[in-house]
Amino acid sequence: MAEGTGMSGGRIKSPEDFCGAIFLLLICALALWQASELTFGTLRAVGPGLMPTALAVLLAGLACVLMVSSLKDDGPDVSPPSWRGILFVLGAFVAFGLAVRPLGLAVAGPLAVIIAGFASDETRPGETVLFGLGMTAFCIALFKFALGLPIPLAPWLLGY
Amino acid sequence: MDIISNLALGFSVALSLQNLALCFVGCLVGTMIGVLPGVGPIATIAMLLPLTFKVDPTGALIMLAGIYYGAQYGGSTTAILINIPGEATSVVTAMDGHEMAKNGEAGKALGIAAIGSFIAGSVATLVIALLGKPLTAMALIFGPAEYFSLMVLGLALAVALARGSVLKAIIMIVLGILLSTIGTDLDTGEERLTLGMTALSDGIDFAVLAMGVFGLAEILKNLENPEARDVVKSGIGKLLPTMDDMKRCFAPIMRGTALGSILGILPGNGAVLAPFASYTIEKKLAKDPSRFGKGAIEGVAGPESANNAGAQTAFIPLLTLGIPPNAVMALMVGAMTIHGIIPGPLVMSKSPDLFWGMVASMWVGNAMLVIINLPMIGLWVKLLKVPYRLMFPAILLFCAIGIYSINNNPADVFLTAFFGLVGYAFYKFGLEPAPMLLGFVLGKLMEQKLRQALTLSRGSMMTFIERPISAVLLLIALAIITVALLPSVRKGREEAFQGD
Repeated sequence: MAEGTGMSGGRIKSPEDFCGAIFLLLICALALWQASELTFGTLRAVGPGLMPTALAVLLAGLACVLMVSSLKDDGPDVSPPSWRGILFVLGAFVAFGLAVRPLGLAVAGPLAVIIAGFASDETRPGETVLFGLGMTAFCIALFKFALGLPIPLAPWLLGY
Repeated sequence: MDIISNLALGFSVALSLQNLALCFVGCLVGTMIGVLPGVGPIATIAMLLPLTFKVDPTGALIMLAGIYYGAQYGGSTTAILINIPGEATSVVTAMDGHEMAKNGEAGKALGIAAIGSFIAGSVATLVIALLGKPLTAMALIFGPAEYFSLMVLGLALAVALARGSVLKAIIMIVLGILLSTIGTDLDTGEERLTLGMTALSDGIDFAVLAMGVFGLAEILKNLENPEARDVVKSGIGKLLPTMDDMKRCFAPIMRGTALGSILGILPGNGAVLAPFASYTIEKKLAKDPSRFGKGAIEGVAGPESANNAGAQTAFIPLLTLGIPPNAVMALMVGAMTIHGIIPGPLVMSKSPDLFWGMVASMWVGNAMLVIINLPMIGLWVKLLKVPYRLMFPAILLFCAIGIYSINNNPADVFLTAFFGLVGYAFYKFGLEPAPMLLGFVLGKLMEQKLRQALTLSRGSMMTFIERPISAVLLLIALAIITVALLPSVRKGREEAFQGD
């Protein structure tokens, strides 16, 4: 996603818009490929494929306009992404999703907080672990006991 | 009078002990989460949605509305105390509100914001009660073609009101509509654009999309730009404005309320523009405009009233026409659907206690905000002092539990993480996600109405022009887009959003 950074000296005047247009075109390509097997139908009985295809073509057209304007008008650079943040913040979320069913909230909660902690320089390990346990206890009390949501607590230990 | 008996019915529902308690809890937790920097009303509601699952439909909606007002007010509190506006509409509040806080008048700024919001909320409640009936009657004569054209008008307004480039706003709206086509086709039952994944066969849940592009992407954004959070150190000062302040603020509050009430009704998130418009007007009308930006109390009172009035009248298109005008209202649709209510003109006639109970609870909720917030400001200040290194894991955990609980499905959690990544990419490429959410919200309904209209007209596209109401709506939409593209208007639009 950071390709734009090196090209600002070339013909592309707005790397931000240029990369954005590429990103949108990729989405359009994906949508067109997925919609290719759906029937269009007729105007009298519109089929499932008509709207997605029409929208993807329209979006691709608009993305092209954005791309052309990125070659003409000056715009901001794309700042390099923070891979560390992406890895640990989204990783913590995915870890929660993976752990919540088999291991329960009692494990998934602290796990998510601790993994998320790696995303920031300012994290203090001991504090984060304690905070994770405390927040999880609070969430269990609130969501499981006060509100009675059917979220698993610790199936391996308690059976629910 | 009809309206009096209706409101009486509403208050009898809203003032029941259970519903008062739900409204109170909603306002309280809404404010608590809304105060957290970087958590706007959309993320707050998506996060707290599961809180309402166990309550009856009326209670659930009353509580959700409470959460919404709480989150709104929490956002203003954050804007005033630490100059980090949680969402677009509090940007204006931060300008003069934070300056007041620096001068040791944080309490007064928060006080006038609460009072202004209360007055605005009371007026807006009346507006909803008055317009409910006639608009519902209008909705019932609308056919699919009219509905489709009305939504086109809504999207045109959204383009005109969006911040930044018109082209990008249109792009994001089209992308949103495209995303809304994912899932099982309503007519044929065929799966569309699902990449063969079962998790997508019901389409993307709105809360999942919103939480990804707003909640998670916001955390990634904040971690990248370590904020200089200057929590006010000079003390809060007196909470209640003086008589003199009140006199000075009366007219701005009234003007803000009027602006907000009108703009909020527009299907296309007009409420966003209201605080900006109010600020600009107050500055133009002021005897000494140079005070603005340096802690002018009118610069807080007007926009805050506009903000709150707009936030509330935005319920009108949802409750009468069944069209959610912004992302928050789309979440309300989700919540109503979970409880088996289909928002639209039939709600009022089929379940009047729910409709009027909710309207009355809006006023109750606004009163409660004043009561909760003024004494609890000290607590919110403490909460704001929690360092971000602890705050973001906590926000993340709440998000994860909230998303999982909506369908008890881990796949939703993964999908949210994916949209977090997509939202972060949007941020990197300068693409604003708000119009996309609106497109997504209206997309499904638009396709459905378009197909129905075409079936009725035997495949003739002319139906949209031949039916007079539809033709007028489309003409207005066309005019709005044309005007938004005019170079002079584009410049003025940018200035309006700067607030200068």
